[in-house]
Amino acid sequence: MRNLLTIARKEATVISRDRVALLIMLAMPLALIFILGSALGSIGEGDSLSIDVAIVNEDVGETGKLFVDGLTSSKELAALFNIDVSNDAAAVRADVEKGNLTAALIIPSNLTEKITAGEPIGLEVIQDPGSKIAGGIWVSVVKAGTANASAQIIAGKVLTEELAAAAGAGAGGPRARGPGASAGPMLTPPQLPPMTFDAVAVREIEAKVDARISMISYYAAGMTGMFLLFGSMFGAFSFVQERREQTLARMLSTPASRLAIVGGKAIGVLMIGVGQFTVLFLGTRLLFGVDWGQSVAATLMIGFAEALAAAGLAMTLAALGKTERSIGGIAPAAIMLFAATGGSMVPTEQLPKFLLPVQVISPVYWTVNGFLDVMRGATVADVLPNIAAILAIGAALFAFGVWRLRFE
Amino acid sequence: MASIVEVTDLVKRFGDFTAVDGVSFSIEEGEIFGLLGPNGAGKTTTISTISCLLAPDGGDVTVGGHSVRSDVTAVKRELGVVPQEIALYPTLSAGENLAFWGRMYGLSGAALKKAVDDALLLAGLEDRSKERVEKYSGGMKRRINIAAGILHTPRVLLMDEPTVGIDPQSRNHILETVKELNGKGMTVLYTSHYMEEVEFLCDRIAIMDHGKIIAMGTLNELRAVVGGMDVVDVKVESVSDLVLEQVRAIPGVKQATRTEDALQVLTPGSGSVLGKLVATLESEGSHVTSIAVTEPNLESVFLHLTGKSLRD
Repeated sequence: MRNLLTIARKEATVISRDRVALLIMLAMPLALIFILGSALGSIGEGDSLSIDVAIVNEDVGETGKLFVDGLTSSKELAALFNIDVSNDAAAVRADVEKGNLTAALIIPSNLTEKITAGEPIGLEVIQDPGSKIAGGIWVSVVKAGTANASAQIIAGKVLTEELAAAAGAGAGGPRARGPGASAGPMLTPPQLPPMTFDAVAVREIEAKVDARISMISYYAAGMTGMFLLFGSMFGAFSFVQERREQTLARMLSTPASRLAIVGGKAIGVLMIGVGQFTVLFLGTRLLFGVDWGQSVAATLMIGFAEALAAAGLAMTLAALGKTERSIGGIAPAAIMLFAATGGSMVPTEQLPKFLLPVQVISPVYWTVNGFLDVMRGATVADVLPNIAAILAIGAALFAFGVWRLRFE
Repeated sequence: MASIVEVTDLVKRFGDFTAVDGVSFSIEEGEIFGLLGPNGAGKTTTISTISCLLAPDGGDVTVGGHSVRSDVTAVKRELGVVPQEIALYPTLSAGENLAFWGRMYGLSGAALKKAVDDALLLAGLEDRSKERVEKYSGGMKRRINIAAGILHTPRVLLMDEPTVGIDPQSRNHILETVKELNGKGMTVLYTSHYMEEVEFLCDRIAIMDHGKIIAMGTLNELRAVVGGMDVVDVKVESVSDLVLEQVRAIPGVKQATRTEDALQVLTPGSGSVLGKLVATLESEGSHVTSIAVTEPNLESVFLHLTGKSLRD
């Protein structure tokens, strides 16, 4: 155990003094997070011509249907929004909370009844505060619609009152209004319904969780997931260098066992990964304001799990590559494949389905999605399957590496 | 004195190639034992088997009574190893390197610090212990390479060609260091293809060629193999194959071998040979620049036994 820790400490020291390693493992991900995050803004906002919204019409009367028809039949609105009409309010609320929808309009079941009774009624608009611009457009549209509806209802009501008054005059004498009508019974204007533009009011209810993830947060997760694996490349480099420069042979001539040597080198890579993750986690928070979510423990556990997977990958790379050059070819290719299929570059939902088998064996996939879930409010318990998957992949890579490793 | 290292019928193969072929020798405690032979003779393979880096295919090795076949950890604890390559971490300082190797042998705390300080003193680099090894000269690296092998004061120090590629000053420092360590009671197994080093250092010497020991004994015992012969070293501009054959045909010439710019002749009576030798060389256009007659040395022993130079 002592030898294992001695080797781990030495390994971490040697790798941390490699300027190229530091550049690739720390400077590059921070630069890419900043460039990609800044260039692409936030998910959803950059895609302003197809804002995903939903309408749930629970109104049993005609008014709600008229309202829905008004919103869905407009060509102008169709150019701006992907409007989904649903009956399931709970599902729509959940989609907004998850960030799948930018905003939603919930029409209550008693809309027609309240309007008929002349009572004020509210519509509910759920808006994701993470997409204030896109969500705000939807709110404006709904408000405009309600204002228009209110005006029509008032106009209709006034007309109804006047017609009723006219009918009353015909039956029981005129109830004149205005100048010259002071004699006789006092004529009063019709009582306006307590419905003005506020009669159909919009209430903004923010989604419970800051579910929409800004691009910079997305790429913080994506690039961290990808670049944490680069520690494995430098761990493999170190193994090959030690083999070539005979420090490995010298280590083997000490009382340290082969298991201690392999374990120590793997733990060294793990230490580098943990340090790298700490820098990226804090760096993205402090420099770019990335919100990694409420559960810091969950984020740290995912990062630690991937650093372990990187240690396992280091052993596999050291087993597969005989020289630094060959590892320098294999490692970036493998890591980029893991990253591309794992969601480091584009969300995995946008990738073709046939990539699913590759995604499942990619530690980056489980890591990035775990990070994103935590950003959306997931807890440690929620991401345990991700952590288990990352550890299983890491263990398989470590076992394969140790099986195929050459010491001479 | 008791043997601390026993090598018995050692065999090591790499595929069809037999690198070590039935080698046997023993090293007494407190002795400096030399393994001399040209590159590829099997010296490094032998030392790698003793240090448990390679498992023997035949025979056995014991160190301090522990067999490399059954008690590897105990064997390793008895040994210090100085490999042929500079097996150090270039981005670590000399002090960090030594501390690492000391820890690998179980040293810690004050004992580790003392061992590192002593090793730096022995290497003459105590003032530069904080510098990264990558900034050291080749000779300095060699000295730290040796220091890393003796931190834990092993009973047996295995040194595999520790002076390859260094300046004469550093070489002398290393040879003196080996003498100093041996003076403190450390047993040393020293391999080299430089006969001068082996002659200077070793109490007993085994000469290896093609995986076998072809002669073994003290320096004087080995010289006696050559008997009362003289060694004639001739510096020439060039020696063709034809000239070499003509030299070998001179009566009284027992053996003749050439290097790049020299010819070495083994003869029982140099007086009767010198004239014919020079005449033969000059007549064939091989201009002689100097000629010297010396006592037999390990080079001439090797020449006598194998018909070729150590540096061939």
